Amino acid sequence: MGLKKVLTLRTIVATSAGLTLATSTFVAAVQVAGFLAGNAAWLAILTSGLLCFLAAACFSELNGQLPSAAGIRLYFGRAFNDNLALVISLFYMAVVMGIVGAESFILARVLSYAMPAIPPLVWIIVMFVIAAWINIRGVKIAGNFQDIITYGLMLSIIVLVVLAFGKINFRPENLTAVGGPGNLIQAVALGVFIFVGFEWVTPLAEESTDTKLISKGMLIAVGLLSIVYALFAVAVSSTVPKEALKHSVIPHLLFAENLLGKTGVIWMTIICLGASITTFNAGLLSVSRFLYASAREHVLPTCLSKVSLKYFTPWAAILTIFFVGLAISIIVLITKRYLIFINIAAAMESLIYVLAGLAVIKLRQKTPADQRPYTIPGGIILPGLTVVVFAVLMVAVLITDKIAGLCLAAGLFLSWVYVINGVPVLRERHRKRHPVRRRRPVKIELEE
Amino acid sequence: MAEHSEITASLRAFQEGYNKNKRLKKMNADWDRVVLVQANDIPSEHTLILRKGELTIQEGPPEKPDIKIISDSETLADMFYGDITPTQPYLNGTLKVLGTEDDVVRLDFISLMIWGE
Repeated sequence: MGLKKVLTLRTIVATSAGLTLATSTFVAAVQVAGFLAGNAAWLAILTSGLLCFLAAACFSELNGQLPSAAGIRLYFGRAFNDNLALVISLFYMAVVMGIVGAESFILARVLSYAMPAIPPLVWIIVMFVIAAWINIRGVKIAGNFQDIITYGLMLSIIVLVVLAFGKINFRPENLTAVGGPGNLIQAVALGVFIFVGFEWVTPLAEESTDTKLISKGMLIAVGLLSIVYALFAVAVSSTVPKEALKHSVIPHLLFAENLLGKTGVIWMTIICLGASITTFNAGLLSVSRFLYASAREHVLPTCLSKVSLKYFTPWAAILTIFFVGLAISIIVLITKRYLIFINIAAAMESLIYVLAGLAVIKLRQKTPADQRPYTIPGGIILPGLTVVVFAVLMVAVLITDKIAGLCLAAGLFLSWVYVINGVPVLRERHRKRHPVRRRRPVKIELEE
Repeated sequence: MAEHSEITASLRAFQEGYNKNKRLKKMNADWDRVVLVQANDIPSEHTLILRKGELTIQEGPPEKPDIKIISDSETLADMFYGDITPTQPYLNGTLKVLGTEDDVVRLDFISLMIWGE
């Protein structure tokens, strides 16, 4: 009795990798290279990818045990308590909006570089309007289209890398010169950002009959991304002077221009557009559905649960994200501090992975009898390692960017204050407006 | 633990609420779906069929459902009677809805239209 519509492994890999591939991740890959003395960006990126395998293994076990679109909200709620799950989920959604803001800023700069006549603000507004319109209309990126975009992008980047290596007659020199362990840790910590979002594919568990496919898909996606980004970072840092890359918002565009001139700029702009479409859309989609579900649960104001009678999409939640995202993008455009959002996202993602590791350990203790299609081998060693490694990486990010650290702490605190004080008020208000009416007849059990 | 007959009665109440709502029927006129409702603590399976906006109920499972709704019998009975919203059991993992995200949102919306918040 299987479902009519099921996802294939190819599409799961494409979706997981596609959610991660973004214009801002290319910038982050080049930033990783900037931390290291030699040409060792590949080492940091492959290490980040390898560490993300640990997190992917934790998500695989959690998703197998609790396959639900509710994702971390459910995992952390079951493992710890609902309040903690809510604090983390609410702030994580705010961070995703921040990523969307930074992403739109960087993409706008890319488009303005390719077409200087149109200022970045216009691009930002156009992108947000298109994304909001698509989401309100309920237009979905079809599985096959997702496959073409993701695999096409990866192939395209590999071709650019090969061309770059051919042009400079690349020789493997300084490939392990990291300039000290501190530099490597910072580079690996930022490298985690490159993989942000690979686990967003877990909500698709409900569209797939075999939860093992999601786990396999996540692991393959992380592996493919590690290779593509590692090669890309080495190619960029080998062909463009480090000084030119250091303070640029569009280092990947400089690389393409350096390689192929105007053709390279157009090629890279198309790559960026393709990469941003899926991230942008996924960000808007996941946050809007989260806001809608939270409003239905009376955790957020009820007005956010309004659904379009024509398209069956949560228009109020989508419009809220439209305005908040647009505001963040404009703030980034004015301040040019997009790196803060990237660092907050890297630290937050590390925190999520720490909690995922802890959730695996805790759930094994709390519900040992639960069915688990996939169990991480080696007892608590690997989940424990996930906790320790990502805790260290989170601290490394926060030491590198203290403002990001302050923002993260403030955001989590505000989220906690809201959950403790605001949510009970909303729930009480709902209780008063809608007194409990029991429609189900009461069952009378006669005693013998 | 609810009995199979209670789940059947709750589904009848849901069907009645749905069929009374002309607007809802019109909105779902092009949304043809076969939904399996399955209890995981007692042997109880029902099929909800939406065709051209009309909702019908059958005892037993369908061959190829578009959506599967799986939960314990108590949650299913309470939910289809509209005594609880689907969101809470869904978020705490008691309720599993297997299907596309759009279908899940649409089902939640139908429940909202029939029973209110």
